[in-house]
Amino acid sequence: MSVAKKDADLEHSGGNSGAGKGGSGGGAGGAVETFRYDDSIVRKFLTAMLVWALVAFLAGLIVALELVAPRAAQWELGGVRPLGWLGWLASQEWLTFGRLRPLHTNAAIFAFAGNAIFAGIYYSTQRLCKCRMFSDTLSMLHFWGWQAIIVSAAVTLPLGITQSKEYAELEWPIDLMIAVVWVGFFGVNFFGTLARRRERHMYVALWFYIATIVTVAILHVFNNLWLPVGVYHFLSTGEVMSASVFLKSYSLYAGVQDAFMQWWYGHNAVAFFLTTPFLGLMYYFMPKAAERPVYSYRLSIVHFWTLVFMYIWAGPHHLHYTALPAWASSLGMLFSLMLWMPSWGGMINGLLTLRGAWHKVSVDPVLKFFVVGITFYGMSTFEGPMLSVKSINALTHYTDWTIAHVHGGALGWNGFMAFGMMYWLLPRLFQTKLWSVKLATAHFWLGTIGILLYVLSIYTAGVTQGLMWRAFDSVGSLQYQDFVETVNAILPMYWIRIIGGVLYITGAVLGAVNYYKTWQTRPATYEEPVHQAPALARVWVDPPLPKSRLSANVNFGHKGDVFLQGAWHRRWEGRPLKFTVWVIVAVGVASLFEIIPTFLVRSNVPTILSVKPYTPLELAGRDIYVSEGCYNCHSQMIRPIWAETKRYGDYSKPGEFVYDHPFQWGSRRIGPDLAREGGARSHDWHVRHMEDPRQLVAQSIMPAYKHLLKQDLDFRGIQARVNAMAMLGVPYGPVVKQGEAERLARLQAAKIAADLVQQGGYADVGGKKIIALVAYLQRLGADIRQGPEWDPYADFAPGAGGEGRKEARR
Amino acid sequence: MKTTQEPNVTGHEYDGISEYDNPTPGWWHILFFGSILFSVFYIVFWHFSPLSWTVHEAWEKDQVNDYKRIFGTVGDLKPDQETIVKMAGDQQMLSVARSIFVGNCALCHGREGGGINGVNLTDDAYKNVKTVEDLYTVISKGANMGAMPAWEQKLSKNERVILASYLMTLRGKNVPGRAPEGDVIPPFPAVPGVGR
Repeated sequence: MSVAKKDADLEHSGGNSGAGKGGSGGGAGGAVETFRYDDSIVRKFLTAMLVWALVAFLAGLIVALELVAPRAAQWELGGVRPLGWLGWLASQEWLTFGRLRPLHTNAAIFAFAGNAIFAGIYYSTQRLCKCRMFSDTLSMLHFWGWQAIIVSAAVTLPLGITQSKEYAELEWPIDLMIAVVWVGFFGVNFFGTLARRRERHMYVALWFYIATIVTVAILHVFNNLWLPVGVYHFLSTGEVMSASVFLKSYSLYAGVQDAFMQWWYGHNAVAFFLTTPFLGLMYYFMPKAAERPVYSYRLSIVHFWTLVFMYIWAGPHHLHYTALPAWASSLGMLFSLMLWMPSWGGMINGLLTLRGAWHKVSVDPVLKFFVVGITFYGMSTFEGPMLSVKSINALTHYTDWTIAHVHGGALGWNGFMAFGMMYWLLPRLFQTKLWSVKLATAHFWLGTIGILLYVLSIYTAGVTQGLMWRAFDSVGSLQYQDFVETVNAILPMYWIRIIGGVLYITGAVLGAVNYYKTWQTRPATYEEPVHQAPALARVWVDPPLPKSRLSANVNFGHKGDVFLQGAWHRRWEGRPLKFTVWVIVAVGVASLFEIIPTFLVRSNVPTILSVKPYTPLELAGRDIYVSEGCYNCHSQMIRPIWAETKRYGDYSKPGEFVYDHPFQWGSRRIGPDLAREGGARSHDWHVRHMEDPRQLVAQSIMPAYKHLLKQDLDFRGIQARVNAMAMLGVPYGPVVKQGEAERLARLQAAKIAADLVQQGGYADVGGKKIIALVAYLQRLGADIRQGPEWDPYADFAPGAGGEGRKEARR
Repeated sequence: MKTTQEPNVTGHEYDGISEYDNPTPGWWHILFFGSILFSVFYIVFWHFSPLSWTVHEAWEKDQVNDYKRIFGTVGDLKPDQETIVKMAGDQQMLSVARSIFVGNCALCHGREGGGINGVNLTDDAYKNVKTVEDLYTVISKGANMGAMPAWEQKLSKNERVILASYLMTLRGKNVPGRAPEGDVIPPFPAVPGVGR
């Protein structure tokens, strides 16, 4: 408490200690101006951070419970089922794992971490620039706009309105809101502040903020290029479709290219939303809290640029052994390995800043959070390159190891940096003492133990399941052929994870109490200290470059030595525009080197003649699959690894996904892969399995989807879906004719319903959603077994695909 | 580096934060440039040298080895009564078949064959089977409008043959599950070396 108090006093009495000295390289030449910082916006973002943290953690706890709920509900103790109520969790349409898991990830990343970033950036940027934010109006628009986006996400995701691209699930209207708020409000506000700054040079934290803002904007726009289905249909026919068709969009990219773009985005969302901004926060708040200089300015330069340049390339490591071309996979792996040291540069600069201040860690919870947070950053950024090594990835991909890796980063690095920052800010923002240092310390310990329980149990789960999937018996058969056995084996670990999660949440609740109590002791009106600093001179002459320190007589050597002394970088630091342009170049070059060949080199995706577009009913079923978030638990990508093809069938080929807008490869196998599911089970099996998986697979942990057997399929809307796909280049031929898609869908649905009855199945599900989903599931991976001339419409309307089939052969 | 005395600071100061002019650590350089060097060798070996192989080539090798290990002694199997009955007496083939059964058939027929959503395979009544060859035919072609899916494109011929053998051995175990469906058919031929 004493340290926090001392800091607060320092801030109040000393004001901005840098102001008026003009000591940091000069550049002050204009008239002395007075200004105040806007801390009310920081208070808003910090409050939002804490609220959304609790929401995100709670959503995480619920989805974790859902994985154990179906089995736990079956436990019997003396004739009663004490946990029977948990079964409810796994049978609610809006609460299924597939719909709620994206809510958890989006809340954790964009709501919790997002608001933490904004709080930290708004606080530190003003002080590093000696300037109030560019526009209070933009600050408010940014704040409320971002909260509106989060609320829209929290409403749409449980309703099954999703693009199904991980961490980019939000549908197109929300995507537009994000672009406007991020670029138009946040971006303009930030760069406007830079333009008005009264400090000539930009501190390293600002470099990281710049990289964050421009790169996230680029990633968001290019991964979210879509065609809104209902809008396109309305524009081309004037016909208005249902709300779900209006909100639906298809990715412009398909299959391999879509997967590539998604993981270029997904990986760099981690890089530029969860790494660079938090490094920026670390560079401001760590030396502030430790009251020590940053360890190494030179390391800041080197690790900033290598990080920004190299991160972008690493995305394909999420797609090892998939249908992605091997060269892209290799680049992804190697750039991940090369990223190890640039990442650790940040860790070194963070931890070594504490040299001479380690004694403070034992008394100050802020530093405790920072030290453990940065340590987790170091561990995660060692683990990341390790997991990207192909042969290691072969074991860990699709398993819980990835989940453990992510949570080490999210709970340890992002969570602890955010909470450390919160405890440092509370006394300053509310101009009072932190209510309880003891409570903050308790938060720290609960959180740390929580993370360890979570991460260690889920590592174990990941390795266990990965090894079980590839275990052979002495004869050469798979030792655990039955997938559910491999799920059963890790359920105890899932329980330990839940305990860890509960501890972490309890810590956060203590944080909320501390926050509330501190807020209660705030003054009636906040003091707004007036600061003074001279405006920047219009004309600014850089100091001359240093002389070469070499005695050699080689001009090149001298130039190199001058370069290595880094004065050029000091000049860049005084020129935000130039600096930003070079960040864009670093990020852009790396992107284009991978993106352009992936799209243009035809040999990346060899054509398979027998792969045809989905029938209208199958397409509607696919949209249900997307909407239910099936990809959260089921992959559709069999890797060319013997244990895997033995279990699931022939490995997936790039040409099989050319009509998949968006791709559905998935990233985690909580359930088995479905790439070759078509034709392996009867319609009846699928219907009953969706109704309640446990009536067929007693140990299944899949949610029940009873609602699919009850809700009517929107046959009319299918035309809009087909036409949008045709617009994206899927050869639908005559099926795009008005009314044709609905006619064909009804014919196929009638055929499936009739077969279903023949198989002894339900007679009352004819026009329901389940029929479309079954049609899609029965098509999965089946084309490759057909001849090039086969007709997907043969069973119910031979030849209806017409010319489309010829086009498909191109 | 002995750090009893303060290292130099750069002279920069931002909101009270200053920066040391420490050099980047030597081990950092070694690992960083080492990882770059490794990457160069990796690319050259795996993408530009004749010594490398692709994952698909490795997979094909595994496929050949797997066939040799499992079916090497029996070769290509014919789907006739003689072969199916013979394999029903081969414990190794039956263990392979059981694994295939658990992976592909158990979801409908139950792990022990008692039937869930598919028929009970352990009683004496059958719907589409009169002879052991019919077992192979139903596995391959399916039956009852897709209630039993066709497996000829998903499982190899050898796998379907030994699966038929495995189903032979399930008969008469009368595992609890679904009630008998179809007609009781005459017993399958005796398996040599196995008392029925």
